[in-house]
Amino acid sequence: MRRRSIRKGIASLAALAAALLLAAPGQAAAEDAPERKVIRIGATQSMDSMNPFLAVRLVSTAIHRWMYGYLTVTDSKTLQPSPDLAESWTTSPDGLTWTFRIREAKWSDGQPITADDAAWTFNKMMTDDGAKTANGPAVENFASVTASGQDLTIKLKTPQASMLENPVPIMPKHVWEKVTDIGKFEAESYPAVTSGPYIAVEHKKDQYVKLEANPNYWRGGPKIDELQVVFYDNPAAAIVGLKKGDIDLIGRLAPPDFEALKGDDNIVQWDNQGRRSSYLQINHGATTTDNKPVGDGHPALRDPRVRQALHTAIDKQKLVDEVQNGLAKPANGSIVPPMYKDFFWEASGATLVSYDPAKANKILDDAGYKKGPDGVRTMPDGSRKLQLRFSIHTDAPIEDKLAEYLTGWFKEIGITLTTKRLDSSKFTEETGTTGLFDIAISGWSVNPDPEEVMATHLCSRRPTPSGEGGGTESFYCDPTFEQLYKDQQKELDRPKRADILKQMQERLYTDAPVIALYYPNDLEGYRKDRIAKITPIPEDNGILYGGSSYWPFYTIEAVTGDEENADSGSNAGVIAGSVGGVVVIGLAGLLFARRRKGTADDRE
Amino acid sequence: MTDLVEPVELVGPDDRGPARYGTLRYALSKAGGAMLSIAMVIVGTFFAFRMLPGDPVRALAQGRNMTPEQLDLERRRLGLDKPVAEQFLQFVQDTLRFDLGISYEYKRPVSDLINERFGATLLLAGTALVMAVSLGIWQGSRAGWKHGSRFDKLSTGASLVLWSVPTFWLGLLLLMVFAAGIGPIPGVFPTRGIESVDAPEGIGYILDVAKHMVLPCLTMVGVIYAQYLLVMRSSLLDEIGQDYVTTARAKGLRDDEVRRKHAVPNAMLPTVTLVFMRIGFVVGGAVTVEAIFSWPGLGQLFYEAIRVPDFTLMQGTFMLIAVSVILMNTLADVVYHVLDPRVRSA
Repeated sequence: MRRRSIRKGIASLAALAAALLLAAPGQAAAEDAPERKVIRIGATQSMDSMNPFLAVRLVSTAIHRWMYGYLTVTDSKTLQPSPDLAESWTTSPDGLTWTFRIREAKWSDGQPITADDAAWTFNKMMTDDGAKTANGPAVENFASVTASGQDLTIKLKTPQASMLENPVPIMPKHVWEKVTDIGKFEAESYPAVTSGPYIAVEHKKDQYVKLEANPNYWRGGPKIDELQVVFYDNPAAAIVGLKKGDIDLIGRLAPPDFEALKGDDNIVQWDNQGRRSSYLQINHGATTTDNKPVGDGHPALRDPRVRQALHTAIDKQKLVDEVQNGLAKPANGSIVPPMYKDFFWEASGATLVSYDPAKANKILDDAGYKKGPDGVRTMPDGSRKLQLRFSIHTDAPIEDKLAEYLTGWFKEIGITLTTKRLDSSKFTEETGTTGLFDIAISGWSVNPDPEEVMATHLCSRRPTPSGEGGGTESFYCDPTFEQLYKDQQKELDRPKRADILKQMQERLYTDAPVIALYYPNDLEGYRKDRIAKITPIPEDNGILYGGSSYWPFYTIEAVTGDEENADSGSNAGVIAGSVGGVVVIGLAGLLFARRRKGTADDRE
Repeated sequence: MTDLVEPVELVGPDDRGPARYGTLRYALSKAGGAMLSIAMVIVGTFFAFRMLPGDPVRALAQGRNMTPEQLDLERRRLGLDKPVAEQFLQFVQDTLRFDLGISYEYKRPVSDLINERFGATLLLAGTALVMAVSLGIWQGSRAGWKHGSRFDKLSTGASLVLWSVPTFWLGLLLLMVFAAGIGPIPGVFPTRGIESVDAPEGIGYILDVAKHMVLPCLTMVGVIYAQYLLVMRSSLLDEIGQDYVTTARAKGLRDDEVRRKHAVPNAMLPTVTLVFMRIGFVVGGAVTVEAIFSWPGLGQLFYEAIRVPDFTLMQGTFMLIAVSVILMNTLADVVYHVLDPRVRSA
């Protein structure tokens, strides 16, 4: 008897739980307060830290851009630095002293923003190693930073034209000076004290960040009330989330995920020029910082003519069509994508390398690399065949496809290419430190100021003799390139500096330590039944999520009124919940009845 | 009702004392063995992970503008500039003090990172384990008892199909059908996480979490329950021909009762071992399931750690998994000893 009642209890409890569960009002909370305008952004990365001195992931830096003011912000039309917390600035004739006038605005807790906040932020980074983690290089050239009222004076060690692209958020001194160990500080107290358009109010680790509009923002509060960043571990689930309406926008999509959005009337497929370039890294004779050779690169690649022949044998348009599903632009330039109009260098005339296998063959013939009976060329001294390795990542279907095409094209010019798949840490080591590669896939997401990406090809970025990586993207060490880099640092006139930066790209293009393949498009998706308006950066043809400013998410507008309530998702949910509940109760009842029959039999 | 083969009844009041003493000694020897294993895990963990290729500092700087000076600074900060022997001694000292170090990537104590995610993993993997074990034992014992029947063929077949299906595929399929909704099937379940962003308070919160658990749990149960079913089925098959079963039948007991009261308890032993072994792995979570449903658990943390490679985080998570497997194995040995008199006499 007792047993029976327990069973009965369990069965009815289970049924009740199931019914409640299925009918649980998931979206009811949002509907209770229809006035509140909330936009949810999906991100396939979670926050590494809420402390801007430590955070390096793209999602974290994006959120910090929405929370904190910087000295300058990228203008949404021209992509040039424009006033942010610094409303104006002057430079001394020698380019070593910069004076910024800090805007008279308020922190979100009502305290005034002064130059002292900025000075504290920079001085903290200059004196505390823990604070250097995220943006150390940004203050490396600073000799001193002082404040007087609203005036901030930064003295540099050497002239630096990229000063106005300083990537450091200005932190509220009155809150942060109390922190004892900045290198271990989690910054998890809410609401955060910020000076940007949003205030972080909640962070659930690996789950979401909630940001509320800052009504006292000096430009005026955002047009929505709340911005949520919701984390997904995998893009496929995020796509499902967008289609279902769990999120309203997702950026940085790969072509297959982007194409999965096709055919949904409520979703806008955002396909525009992007900030990334994909290129091949050629082991043209890797060396360490003391100019000693390192690694096992094929000797033929030290010959610029061989690198040129490889470049000529690549059909970039075909790669765009087949590997990137047409969602990219073939690279007729170097590592700076055309999105950055001011700095982009495009090859033309005699310098332009276009797909021409016959020409590639001729270059190699003329250079003395003779084809053997098996169709594979050998070194002019006959010592080695031109058999090269192509290093790519494991589990990267796009790179696999790329390898197939390159192998085919290189075969036509008598060069054998074999694919070598490496996991990402081994890949980084072999292609960045130990030089154990011939050709490797690579890429870089370029900032509005290309100095950063240029620096990855400097001599000083090569690994040290003791084998520690220095962050090189090519093992390049070229006197011409080094000189141009120094020149552009000193050149404060923007058009003149752009010219120098273009010469650097030309050098990379013709000398070919790297060969740019294509510039992948920026692929995103958003729900037009939720987002009424969002302005990309740059405004004419640009990025929504992942650009280096707050414009798109500051200007974002939500769909309001009846349209939002017309969302039938919750109704469907209730109906489904009820149906599901009934089914579960039915099943539970059936089971229970059977058990009861069983126990009745037992008692016979 | 007397049943000579019922194991519990074999332990008469008279031999209870010595048996308990024996169990204690047995448990102690097992515990000693476990300690030794744990010590080896500590040593092994350190060296195994350092043999992985890759420079963590370089990997963390990937795609960012870092000067060589700054990379050096990072290396010093993480203590990677010291000789390996010194690093090892430091590691052993810290570990013995239960200090798992600071994660390279998150710059926070590894124990904090594990604590934050432990609950979520335990909830998901624990629930799935209980469900899979119950379902497996229930179906397995029935299937074994009526082996060759339609029920046997159907349940064994279904569980084997699910067992062979890649977890990722099954999870995504469930996600697409029951979270997104296809045709007449509405998307009832959420697409990610352990709770809604605007989760209600109190009982509503529990329901919200339960709702988020349905799909990941189903995926995990679907994939793992076959092993319990098969072990249960085969050990029941072994018991069917035994004399005591015939005796029980001869007593005139109902078929169902012979199965439940006589055959199943004896057939349970291998399953118990399996279950205890699996409990150890539960804390490791199910990396794949957690990744599909964006479950904020340990699996994802471990995966991230390997990708970097974040040595301290890897050591911490790996040791947690290894130590719980060892502990649970030891416990299984002891429980087995208590449950099965045959082990005791051996």
